[in-house]
Amino acid sequence: MKITVFDYGAGNLHSLVKVLAGENDRVVLETDIARALATDLLVLPGVGAFSAAAAQLAPALNPLRTALRDGLPCLGICLGMQLLFEASDEGPGEGIGLFAGRVTRLDAARVPQIGWNAVEQASDPLFARANLRSAYYANSFACRPRDLSGVVAWSTHDGDRFPAAVRAGSTLGVQFHPEKSSAPGVSFVRQFLTAIREGGRSC
Amino acid sequence: MLTRRLIACLDVRDARVVKGVQFVGLREVGDPVELATRYEVEGADEIVYLDIAASAEERVTLFDLARRTAERLFIPLTIGGGIRTVDDIAAALRAGADKVGLNSAAVRRPEVLSEGAARFGAQCIVASIDAKWEDGRYRVYTHGGRTPTDLEAVGWAAECAARGAGEILLTSIDRDGARDGYDLALTRAVADAVSVPVIASGGAGNAAHVCAALSQGGADAALVAGILHDGVVTVADLKRAMRDAGLAVREAA
Repeated sequence: MKITVFDYGAGNLHSLVKVLAGENDRVVLETDIARALATDLLVLPGVGAFSAAAAQLAPALNPLRTALRDGLPCLGICLGMQLLFEASDEGPGEGIGLFAGRVTRLDAARVPQIGWNAVEQASDPLFARANLRSAYYANSFACRPRDLSGVVAWSTHDGDRFPAAVRAGSTLGVQFHPEKSSAPGVSFVRQFLTAIREGGRSC
Repeated sequence: MLTRRLIACLDVRDARVVKGVQFVGLREVGDPVELATRYEVEGADEIVYLDIAASAEERVTLFDLARRTAERLFIPLTIGGGIRTVDDIAAALRAGADKVGLNSAAVRRPEVLSEGAARFGAQCIVASIDAKWEDGRYRVYTHGGRTPTDLEAVGWAAECAARGAGEILLTSIDRDGARDGYDLALTRAVADAVSVPVIASGGAGNAAHVCAALSQGGADAALVAGILHDGVVTVADLKRAMRDAGLAVREAA
């Protein structure tokens, strides 16, 4: 399977690439979003600012939307999850809008949220399979979906409850960093890859 | 609920771990990648590499070390020491760091904090502050504790956060390596003055010191080095003590 990590040019991708690189998978980094769509799995990684990343998606935003709605598997991590929503209070720019709702600042005494937080009410089987009960977060903003049916796990920081993960078909968005959540996080990503590999676009 | 973090710090030089006592008297203690991955397995929440040489020549070695580490470490890695410009930050993140510590460079040119935060997000910009109690106040020092500044640590921490730092790594020069406990008054003053997470550093001698930094000190995270490297305590010992003290701690997998 070909796994394409969209590269905004803003952060550490080594650990993520290492986690994604399974036995028979080929991981490529791609800076051109139009070319990034020619893949079996698109990964939107987690470091950077919303506006800058949205600007890099802009040239192929409609093809990207169509590809995800047509079932192209996608994993969005942290900022990558936020890009799956419509817009962000962090800055201007248009998100993909696969999920309805905005991204707003965490309503908490300490922001950014940096550290390990419990994953609550996890309904997606990946969490149990990976035994992922606590995950590493590094975020100032969180997604506020209008329709809560896509939320498959929650976390709470200083009383602000926000989606830890959202799911729409074979697209999965996670607010935490699985590639920084030690062995259970690594297992979580690998379980997702297995599900995609087995289920293909219908997963 | 967000848990309190235990961070293992590895002072590195020439891609080897060293640990000094009050910033002098260095001795080599091991291979950074081996130690970092061992601490991850034992339950450390994060790893910090501090390049104590902090020279331009060393930076290439440090970035190579970050790259080798990132491929094997699956908890966050912060690197600091000798990072001066936004381009340095970019290179460090690119090499494999998740966060970058800025110390002397932020004092010299505070704008680097806001520039870094705007480009990479506040969550990866750590303001590293070395403070020493002098004449009734905490004076900020740079260049590995060698160069005094006119800055007062609590006010400087607040300014760093206002400028975009997403975290404060606060080291007491007086306590560093002394193993007689963190400077709780300093830690508490800074934790009360900023709304970003504070990492207490300098002075850990036992598990009770770590717990005190997190409870009385109000820190979100405690940084430990020598007592781990010397085998005085293990990460598991410290985590157990934190849990027993009623602090929220990450569940081991």
